[in-house]
Amino acid sequence: MEQMMTDDLLANAFERLLQTHCTPAHVREIENGASPDSLWEEIEQSGFADALISEDKGGADLALRDVFPLVLLCGRYALPVPMAETMVARAAYAAAGQEAPKGPILWSDDIPFETPEVRRSTGALVAAGLLVGALERAFEITVEFANDRTQFGRPIGKFQAVQQLLSIMAEQTFAAKMAAEIGFASDGWMPDPLLAALAKSRTSDAAALVSAHAHAVHGAIGATEEYDLQLFTRRIQQGRTAFGSETYWNRLIGETVIASDEEGVLDNIRQSLSA
Amino acid sequence: MLGSLPLVSIPPEDEALRPAVRAFLKDALKGRPRDVLARSWVGLDADFSRKLAAKGWVGITFPEEYGGGGRSPYARFVLVEELLNAGAPVYAHWIADRQSGPLILKYGTDAQKDFYLPKICKGEAFFCIGMSEPTAGSDLASVRTRAVKTDNGWLLNGQKIWTSGANISQYMVALVRTSGEPEDRNKGLSQIIIDMSLPGIDVRPIKDMSGDSHFNEVFFDDVVLAEDALVGTEGQGWQQVTSELAFERSGPERIYSSIQLLDGWLDYLKSRPVISEASTVLIGKFATHLAVLRAMSLAITDQLTKGLSPATEAALVKDMGTEVEQAIPTLIADALASEPDAPVPDELLRTLEYVTLMSPTFSLRGGTREILRGIIARGLGLR
Repeated sequence: MEQMMTDDLLANAFERLLQTHCTPAHVREIENGASPDSLWEEIEQSGFADALISEDKGGADLALRDVFPLVLLCGRYALPVPMAETMVARAAYAAAGQEAPKGPILWSDDIPFETPEVRRSTGALVAAGLLVGALERAFEITVEFANDRTQFGRPIGKFQAVQQLLSIMAEQTFAAKMAAEIGFASDGWMPDPLLAALAKSRTSDAAALVSAHAHAVHGAIGATEEYDLQLFTRRIQQGRTAFGSETYWNRLIGETVIASDEEGVLDNIRQSLSA
Repeated sequence: MLGSLPLVSIPPEDEALRPAVRAFLKDALKGRPRDVLARSWVGLDADFSRKLAAKGWVGITFPEEYGGGGRSPYARFVLVEELLNAGAPVYAHWIADRQSGPLILKYGTDAQKDFYLPKICKGEAFFCIGMSEPTAGSDLASVRTRAVKTDNGWLLNGQKIWTSGANISQYMVALVRTSGEPEDRNKGLSQIIIDMSLPGIDVRPIKDMSGDSHFNEVFFDDVVLAEDALVGTEGQGWQQVTSELAFERSGPERIYSSIQLLDGWLDYLKSRPVISEASTVLIGKFATHLAVLRAMSLAITDQLTKGLSPATEAALVKDMGTEVEQAIPTLIADALASEPDAPVPDELLRTLEYVTLMSPTFSLRGGTREILRGIIARGLGLR
């Protein structure tokens, strides 16, 4: 992979690959039992799954913060293969001096992390990034629908009640993305565990509301198999609970704040919950 | 459709301001209980504001030629964050510092800048904002207060309401009609600066449900204003106000309204032999939400340093910020009363009572929740 690529170039190249090889039709086929091998082969050939491992091992030596746009894209395209997970898992194997298994790597206890806690928080951060991509796409599909769908003689997006729902979706999606960005703001391949906790807590917190409002705006069509919204809202619901829901991570953050010597909440945020 | 703002951190030279501000506040606010500190936003204390001005911390972003600090919006972020987090009574100089001063800087004549800005920086000119009227709330464009052009100035008649600080301010920036009729909506509106000591002005305080009187009714009866009362361009008042409100919505001001209560509750929890799991989760939830809001607020500050005005993002952050500010008293009340027999310190209960009573106003000032969501919707391309 080109070493000089900026974040944007990197993301643009990956998005072109997904536009061709990961259309909603492809996603449905794979979900319905078709082989994901050719899609995975495209990703493998592109080298993106090696982004976090060092150059001498054939990777791109990128940091977690650099690959945030790639993880978002995996979520935005409902990618049905574990590219983001594999990218991080390969870095974990490399860091442990072990050979990674060939092909896509599903998240499991076999991936060598120092502790189960680190494994869980790293997995949670990947899930948070995927979740934000899905939230963004569900939001965009819903805004398009609200502008196109006409009732009572005008687009439903002209009605204040619908605008309120869409504004809440915009807020929650925006906040979730900022939280994930904080979690990914690491110069190495591993996140700060507390920032990963923050990312998963806030993205999970946004998930149920964004999904519910997306379906509320759509009406019955949104709940059909043939309409793309379900590709994303199903993933939003799964992502919300994967590696622990908001309450799990809030408990961990709360314990840290209570145990801290910092006097107020602001100083806790400044010292431990900021990138 | 909805972009994202890059994650930023406060530059070291601006972060370096924090210890000095904190030390000053520790001394200046010594002995004040949390329920008094919780009034921060609406705390009127002219002496405090003048002391702050003496440190160079009023008008910190204004150019040095006008007596300002010449610092970046990041320096102001640090200063404001410390003031609000400590519960400093900021209201006396608040509007001049955050709205009227920047307005005069942007639209004022050289003479207006020379006259008002040094006074603001010295803590000698406090401003209030005359926007709402009895029949013009969220529908601000329907204001009826009118300034009629005379041979050598303006003749002002009408009424403003909910004007915080009118009783202690030397000046008001008012949105008034200078031509046309209320039916002309946002055409024919202008912004004028009113010297509050002029004859014909009657200020009547309104008591709020907590017993404080920070907002007022203001009546204008044939008030004679000089020609240079006009700020900016006649008839452009609506455009000026809209950009002023975008600025008003974008600071760290919309995160910390309930912080005294939250910190007081955290202190209380730390003193307990056992902390319920629900309370631990709740502290984590508030810390998480506030941390993300702070990062978003900083990202908006970064846009301001670049001369941009991210109005949609600012509206979105303000709406979410006030939501958390309001959730804090609601959920802390529930958490405390979930253990009805546990002894709770009086100071914490008084703070909870005050913040609970005032929290509905957090999402009113500077544009209601419903209006903000309309602004966000417009930003999304829905109208």
